[in-house]
Amino acid sequence: MSAASAQLFLAEGLARQNRVAEAVEACYEVLRLDDSEPLAHALLADLLLAGDFYEEAIGAAALAIELDVDCTPAYLALGLAYDRRGGMWDRSVLVWHELAEVAPELVTAHVQLGEALAASAFEEEAIAAWRKALELDPRQARAMYDLAVAALKREGMATALPGFRKAGELDPSQDDFFFGLAGVGSGGDEMPRAEDVEPDRFSRLAAAYSLARADDLFGAADMIRLLLSDKPDDAEALALAGFLYLKQEASNEAMAVALRALAIDPKTPTAVYVLGSSFTRRRGLGKSASRVFGALAKAVPDQPMSHVLHAEALLGVQRYADAKVSYLRAVQLDPTLVRARFGLAAVLLTEGEHALAAHEITRAAYYDTRREGLFMCLYEDYARGREQSAE
Amino acid sequence: MPSDREIDGGEGQTDASPMTPEAVNAETSDEELRTSGAAVPADAARRPRRNPLFGTGVSLYPLDDEADEPEDWYSRDVTADLDTLTEAKCSLVRLFVGWRVLEPQVGQYDAEILGRLSELVKSVDERGMQSIVCFFADDRHADLASVPWGARRDPRIDPYLLQREAAVIAQVVSALHGSAGLFAWQLGDEAFLSGFTTAEDLAAWAGQLREAIREHDPARPIGLGADVETFFRSSGIDMRALAESFEFSVAHATSAYRAYASQGPLTSVNSSYLEPFLLRCAPAGKPVLLDETGPLSLEYSAGEEAQALRVALWSAICNGASGVMARRLRDMRTERREPYFLDPFETLVGVLDDEGEAKPAFDELATFIATSAVLDLRAYTPLPERAAVLMPAERYEPLPSLAGLYAPRACLQAFVTAKRAQVPVKVVHEGEELREYRLIAVPSAFRLEDGTWSQLAEFVQAGGTVLYSYGGGELAKESAGLFGVEFVGDGGPRRSFECRVAQQRLLGDLENFDSLLELPAYALVTPSTATVVATDATGNPLLTVNQVGQGRAVFVSVPLERAVAQGDPWAAPHPVLALLRELYGSSARAAGCAAPFECDTPEVEVTLFSGDTDDVIVLINHSPERVLAGMSTNHPVASISDIRGGAEVPVGGKAFGVPLGAGGVSALRLTYE
Repeated sequence: MSAASAQLFLAEGLARQNRVAEAVEACYEVLRLDDSEPLAHALLADLLLAGDFYEEAIGAAALAIELDVDCTPAYLALGLAYDRRGGMWDRSVLVWHELAEVAPELVTAHVQLGEALAASAFEEEAIAAWRKALELDPRQARAMYDLAVAALKREGMATALPGFRKAGELDPSQDDFFFGLAGVGSGGDEMPRAEDVEPDRFSRLAAAYSLARADDLFGAADMIRLLLSDKPDDAEALALAGFLYLKQEASNEAMAVALRALAIDPKTPTAVYVLGSSFTRRRGLGKSASRVFGALAKAVPDQPMSHVLHAEALLGVQRYADAKVSYLRAVQLDPTLVRARFGLAAVLLTEGEHALAAHEITRAAYYDTRREGLFMCLYEDYARGREQSAE
Repeated sequence: MPSDREIDGGEGQTDASPMTPEAVNAETSDEELRTSGAAVPADAARRPRRNPLFGTGVSLYPLDDEADEPEDWYSRDVTADLDTLTEAKCSLVRLFVGWRVLEPQVGQYDAEILGRLSELVKSVDERGMQSIVCFFADDRHADLASVPWGARRDPRIDPYLLQREAAVIAQVVSALHGSAGLFAWQLGDEAFLSGFTTAEDLAAWAGQLREAIREHDPARPIGLGADVETFFRSSGIDMRALAESFEFSVAHATSAYRAYASQGPLTSVNSSYLEPFLLRCAPAGKPVLLDETGPLSLEYSAGEEAQALRVALWSAICNGASGVMARRLRDMRTERREPYFLDPFETLVGVLDDEGEAKPAFDELATFIATSAVLDLRAYTPLPERAAVLMPAERYEPLPSLAGLYAPRACLQAFVTAKRAQVPVKVVHEGEELREYRLIAVPSAFRLEDGTWSQLAEFVQAGGTVLYSYGGGELAKESAGLFGVEFVGDGGPRRSFECRVAQQRLLGDLENFDSLLELPAYALVTPSTATVVATDATGNPLLTVNQVGQGRAVFVSVPLERAVAQGDPWAAPHPVLALLRELYGSSARAAGCAAPFECDTPEVEVTLFSGDTDDVIVLINHSPERVLAGMSTNHPVASISDIRGGAEVPVGGKAFGVPLGAGGVSALRLTYE
């Protein structure tokens, strides 16, 4: 391994540990040894982007691309830097277009391309790009949010609302919120087997949550059935049963078991969640949903998702000012919550605050891409590709 | 004004020298007062039309249509434009010399063009305004700083072209220097000057051309058209020393700097504080013109543009500017294309549309001129700023040091925090004299110069207060005595921030809290002589105070300002912002440099102009929401009234409320019991 490669390895490691200043120094050390190393420029661009130093990131990424036009991580950094810098949408469109060509299966490139096109007022092309992203990945929540925002701009909230709801359902953070309300952690990789579960309430409930979390809905339902056979008035088990119904689009059943759970124990937050969620899926129950989620937001005020759900219910009954307050509260609690940012953007659009809305969407995109950790994936793929071609 | 108030009027308005040398014709007009709906007082007939000590104007670019050629330099009839400016009571107009049209062939000057320039200056003068004539700007359309015979040589560094530039200046200055309506000369604008790659080249260019002006005009002010802070950011050249050799300097927020320092819409969070911050970064002791303010791109609605301009104009007069210039009069008429992209030279958007119709921003400009006219800056002086944010020298370090990138953001956050705490504040650069201050905030610096620690120690010994937040890395050994703590090490980054108050009231009213905030570092210290005021959740000192001599040194164990600035300023946790505000406010109160009033709304910036028998306060709402600012003063207020006139509203107490719209401004006269 050459000195430059060793130094680059070190820089990469430091970057992964989020030790930005040291990683930047290490990148410069690589460039002192070999200034034609595109990976060092690309990594430097990403590090500078992490600090919101857009001009510097643009410079570094552009150098990387100049050195190798196939350097995909550099395209990502360059596009993101243009987007976040703002006002450079023409260049941004070009970069995302290029990345979508170089890596056609990269969903984020299509989503970002759509956002750059939308910011440039090319709405039709933007919608086509988001649809392409959803073709590649039907669970792409951000593309769905973007489509909902586009619908809002064109036809108003009534048309946009189903899109926001659909995007919300695609967003995995809502399920995390449910399990968080139940006090269940992320759990391990190992799935419980029904025959190994101890025949007590605690073990069965824990197993049911684990199975539900792993999307084994039937396994979880079997476990709940055993629980309820022993104790039919178990509010928590009923709430989980309601959640399982919700996952299977059975809103009426979910509503029924949630109501039963709340009749047994009105302070079961998971049941409140299930009831609110089932109300939102039924026409004409928007007001009830807003009340239920309002109660949930009061019960768990430090959970940003509770405010998001309340805000979304308020959107459904056209109480935009109240929805804005709830969204703002959610953003205060968690600035990285993409769903709250998009919702807030929607409310701002209804108020005619286009610049503020655009800013919220930009921030949502920023956090979403950062959450995905896409740069490092592209970086690894690119490095591996170079090694293979060298061999 | 009551005599026992803690205001040192003797040192007020040190840097607010007028940008208008003549006492502008104090003509009488009460038209704007009538149209504003305010009752016109009996003495309105004697009121000035505009503020004689605060120039306000607009840049009048040579071309207003993208289809025009450089040869069309000011070929249109500008009478209507000048009349519009006259109606708005502007006092300054910037005109641009076009080198290409003036010297079409080497050494041959077009007398017609020179005559046209003289006519323009005369027309401006005839309307009671004054001109700033700018050489070698780059507006991207009119080739103002290049010549066809230049053979693609760089006019910034080519010795022959430099000679020609000096000669063209000689032609213009000798033709115009006798004009009464000519106020000042300007060399370059930021678009042109940012093409320099070394400080030496810039100094040589500026020095030679300055001499060329001085040969024919020994007295008139000359300015260099770049902001020291934004220019360093764009070019990497520190031009502070050079700027000080000119008679006035300019401050402006370029779009690139705005994206770097405070992204997001113009009208909220830290964005609206950016221009006052840059004003305070300008060289001290020289008049500063807040330049190129107003609409920047077509990204914002007309209402947002107007709101941003309103806040910028009033921030200028409240933050030591000597005048203010809007970016452009008319929108450039561009080809009909969508979308509009950012104009890299920022000269497309004006305060009138391309038909010459006033936009809301223009109405704001006119309203500002009419209202600020009534603020007599001879009779009312702003409170002296005895608090300063220290811009560390590491700000000028290049990459790979990130300090140069972090420092301005942390300093802006500190400046905003001081404003939110109603502390009159300036920015001081490391190495500058600190004696005039009572409080120095050092926000999140990684490292200070060797001499600075002893300077800070002397400052505290003499009764000053230092508010220092740790920036990361090794804490200088010299700091141990000052802060009364032993540095154990950097605890590294944290994702949460907790505060547990150990000593109440030593640093104001602090509250316990837990919040999510990414902290890049945490200084682990053990107190020796310092008192621990607050700790984190595990008992590590978070805030300490050390009494040294007659002063005190406050140590914050985390880079708080940087953490807020680097995080999402739109979602900074409220308890953290409240802690910062209380730290700055209480430190200023203890140091005796706080304002003699309080405002319960942090987003409202309040500036007090102190008079002999009454005061004027200007309240600027920096938030995009409507607010009711609750004011409380040290002395009972008898009445308040709009400075433009109108009925006096009796108060009879120390508290009153002022309603302000989004980005709203209110200028009130206070009389005391």
